[in-house]
Amino acid sequence: MLYVAPFLCLYVILLVYPLFGGFWLSLHKADLFGGRRFVGFENFVRLSNDQVFLGAVGNTFYFILLTVPALAIIGLGLALALNRQTRTAAVLRGVFFSSSVLSVTIVTLLWKVVYAPEGGFVANLLEVFGRPPIPFLSSAELALPAIAITTIWWCIGLPMMLFLAALQQVPRELYEAAALDNAGRWKTLWNVTLPSIRRTFALVLIIEVVLQFQLFGQAYLMTQGGPNNASRPMVLFLFEVGFTRWDVGYAVAAGQILFGFIAIAAFAQYLVARRKEAF
Amino acid sequence: MIRPIAILLSCLALTSCGVQQPPNEIVVQRFFGTCNAQYGTRTDVAAAEGECGIMTTLINKFSAENPDVRVRVSPVAWPGYNQLAAQLAAGDPPDLVTMHLSSIPDYQSRALIEPLGKDLRAVGVDPQGFTAASSAGVNIQGDVFGLPIDNWAPLWHINMNYFRQAGLVKDGKPILPRSPEELLEHARRFKAATGKPYLVQTLAIERASYARNLYTLLMQQNATIFPDPQHIHLQSPEAKRVVDLFRQIYVEDLTTKNLDYAASTNAFINGAGGVFIVGTWLIGDFEAESRRADRPLSNGYTVRPFPQLYAARDATYIDGHAWVMPAKERTPQQRDAVFRLLKFFADNDFEWSRTGHLPAYQAVIDSERFNALPHRREIAKLSATGMTLPASVQRQFPVADIVGEEMSAAITGHKTVDAALADAEHRINDLLFHVL
Amino acid sequence: MTTQLASGAVGRGFGDRLILAATIALAIVMVIPMLWAVGLSLKTNQELLVDTQSVLKAPWTLINYYDILIGSGVFRWLLNSIIVSTGMSLGVLVLSSLAGYGFARLEFPGRNVIFVLVLFGLAIPEQAVILVRHQLFSDLDLHNTYAGLMLPGMSAPFGVFLMTQYFKAIPTEIDEAAMLDNASRFKIFWRVLLPMTLPAQATLGIFTFLHAWNDYWWPMVSGTNQQMYTLTVGIASTQQNFAESAGLGYLMAQAVFASLPVLIVYMFFQKYIVRAVSGAAT
Repeated sequence: MLYVAPFLCLYVILLVYPLFGGFWLSLHKADLFGGRRFVGFENFVRLSNDQVFLGAVGNTFYFILLTVPALAIIGLGLALALNRQTRTAAVLRGVFFSSSVLSVTIVTLLWKVVYAPEGGFVANLLEVFGRPPIPFLSSAELALPAIAITTIWWCIGLPMMLFLAALQQVPRELYEAAALDNAGRWKTLWNVTLPSIRRTFALVLIIEVVLQFQLFGQAYLMTQGGPNNASRPMVLFLFEVGFTRWDVGYAVAAGQILFGFIAIAAFAQYLVARRKEAF
Repeated sequence: MIRPIAILLSCLALTSCGVQQPPNEIVVQRFFGTCNAQYGTRTDVAAAEGECGIMTTLINKFSAENPDVRVRVSPVAWPGYNQLAAQLAAGDPPDLVTMHLSSIPDYQSRALIEPLGKDLRAVGVDPQGFTAASSAGVNIQGDVFGLPIDNWAPLWHINMNYFRQAGLVKDGKPILPRSPEELLEHARRFKAATGKPYLVQTLAIERASYARNLYTLLMQQNATIFPDPQHIHLQSPEAKRVVDLFRQIYVEDLTTKNLDYAASTNAFINGAGGVFIVGTWLIGDFEAESRRADRPLSNGYTVRPFPQLYAARDATYIDGHAWVMPAKERTPQQRDAVFRLLKFFADNDFEWSRTGHLPAYQAVIDSERFNALPHRREIAKLSATGMTLPASVQRQFPVADIVGEEMSAAITGHKTVDAALADAEHRINDLLFHVL
Repeated sequence: MTTQLASGAVGRGFGDRLILAATIALAIVMVIPMLWAVGLSLKTNQELLVDTQSVLKAPWTLINYYDILIGSGVFRWLLNSIIVSTGMSLGVLVLSSLAGYGFARLEFPGRNVIFVLVLFGLAIPEQAVILVRHQLFSDLDLHNTYAGLMLPGMSAPFGVFLMTQYFKAIPTEIDEAAMLDNASRFKIFWRVLLPMTLPAQATLGIFTFLHAWNDYWWPMVSGTNQQMYTLTVGIASTQQNFAESAGLGYLMAQAVFASLPVLIVYMFFQKYIVRAVSGAAT
């Protein structure tokens, strides 16, 4: 018990208490600077009618759809291609993981000068081909996909590493058996490699869904949620309501919804992962 | 078992000591950008240009003249209010903060900033000397809650070289539209002659300029924007007229598109269009650019107040910047230093007005040297035509952000004008209704 | 080595080379934003104002880097980021190892229930608790302190989960053998088991470090004092102003400068990082 206690203390004070405190606060109309009044579930009713919030929920799911499968598939592809002991592979692994060590403010700065319609990298490239610039960040259709590309660029290192780790552990005998059966490359991949790493696949999906649900910095720094609410994720909504509008009760209520979604996602994937194993 | 925990605890103890503020140090938090490379240690205010340069050198000069005071400057990304809210909530605000006049009521109503009147008078700053607009911005319930340093308004910054090309110059002065129809006609003529859009606008990412345009043109129609402090009225024929106009300009490609604040500023400097609608603060920068050779603005820059497009009234939305003092405990030394710095800014308001802003002091506006600055006579009438929103309206900054977001949706065609105005009105009234 | 055969995904020959070529192409796309930023940082602000295509043409200059050396807060931000990230990582390692050992090896009432409750915490996003946590830290006077910046990361249960799994995977015979040698419980933990978890520690340390290094929201609302800015917050504080002040080249130089230390460290330890991540699951 003594061993567990230090962590448990922090856990209860810094995570459990704020969670329940947040639930209690979400039943209030509360100002960031004091003053609160119990209003029951009014904040949640407000949320369910708030077009901006509903838009933010939609954006968040769309963003997950844009990033998580791409991260898993590209990550797996890179891991398969780079799972070898050559120098080139080592260097390339380094390159693909390198972006992960940059902070979000630097990542967004880099991509802002890539996307900028005036003098950005892509705009310059298009100019060479005599094409007009693409307004990535100010078009309602492109803003979120552009943020997604930035995010994939930024986050690809982790899934790749996790898959690489998993590939190292596939029992060699399985491959030897496949080789004896004269199975081709694709067949081996399909019948041996992929089934052996399905747990990792589930793990990667869980981690990435939970991570990408929390999209904030990229949207805040690149688009401010615009245009026309096309790139405002839930977390940005909750930030703006809390710190710009000072409507803390309402912000915390949105936080509860976010918590609910992430809990459901984590639980569903846990179930899927378990069933797969049993199967 | 005990050892690692002890180590951990002692580490925590070490790390929990944050930054202690020395008794003679004041923290000054401001926007206006960072330019240490150019102005880091310079104190020659008269040689500095632009908001960042003049602000930096002013504070450097104050520090040099007051060696007993340590001024720690903390530049924040514009407008810095989220950070300030977090600091105030944490009970650890800076000693002085730049604030828009329109935001002062938010902080005053929650007693987050201190009244300054008595101490200002004690150091010799007379609030009676503020201009009418500045005074209205900082005076709440009989006391002064900020030291105004300027008023600003959206202006028309004009590339005269293009205007000449388009035949829009008469007697060396730009010909500006006097009605929405004339604006469209000029813009089409301009485009035909120069191949460039008439307007340069900040339409992407930052949303503040939309609201400034809308407020200005509603004021010119004598429309009631806030029937009472809790309600905005945007579903009006007047508002629809304004948004329709900007939509038309957008549809006909008479404006630059997709540019954020930085890009639109660069675009105007690089000659992307005829008129850049942006505030007073860039006059100094553009004026400097017009003195450089072989540039699109060379010898061809002028600036005018927002032209009167509607007959009802000659008006422009104005706001301003002020220093406010967040409520917190201070040593007598710090308090003294704060007011010395405020006095210094009051005394040097002329230097600050070289940025292009309108001075906050009537005496400076009336002074010879201010009127001798380029273009200042042109915009002098703003002190009479400038209008603020009612000070009783709280949360003006988030309100303007919503206005901007919805107007942007309408102008770029993501929503109909009616739907955008209805949504804006609904969202803002919801926000104001829930202000505690 | 046999591993390359063992992967099974790629054999030799044409297909192999095709995959390699595609991967290299992707890697080039990957580094373009970084190279572009480096290129921009080597031009004067005035030149970039007119045309960014000039990046490809001489003259290049180091003036922006010189400007950083004389007047940027980036050193302080870097230092803060290093302190906070290192501190948070160490804290997480200690707490998670202790708790992981406790959950995996010790019997105490309610152990399983508590463990499940801790796992439940994996689903709590930081953002859902951040406002209340902010108020809590205000009451405890922890804002603008290093502890205030480190502690939230230490309460995340991921490390405990990882370490518990890892301790569970170590056969109990090892403890029993040590027990026969009359070693105390703590000694077993400290001398015998802990060294065996080093790969997991490395993984956890790296993940925590990266998380802390990249964290944005919490440092933004907690370390609001300029002297407490971490790199993310500091860089962001200059980001939105570049039209009127610092200039594009300067900003890019600052970004490059701020990224260099961590990229260099990363390049040096890359082998270990890869091994650590791979080792974690072994």
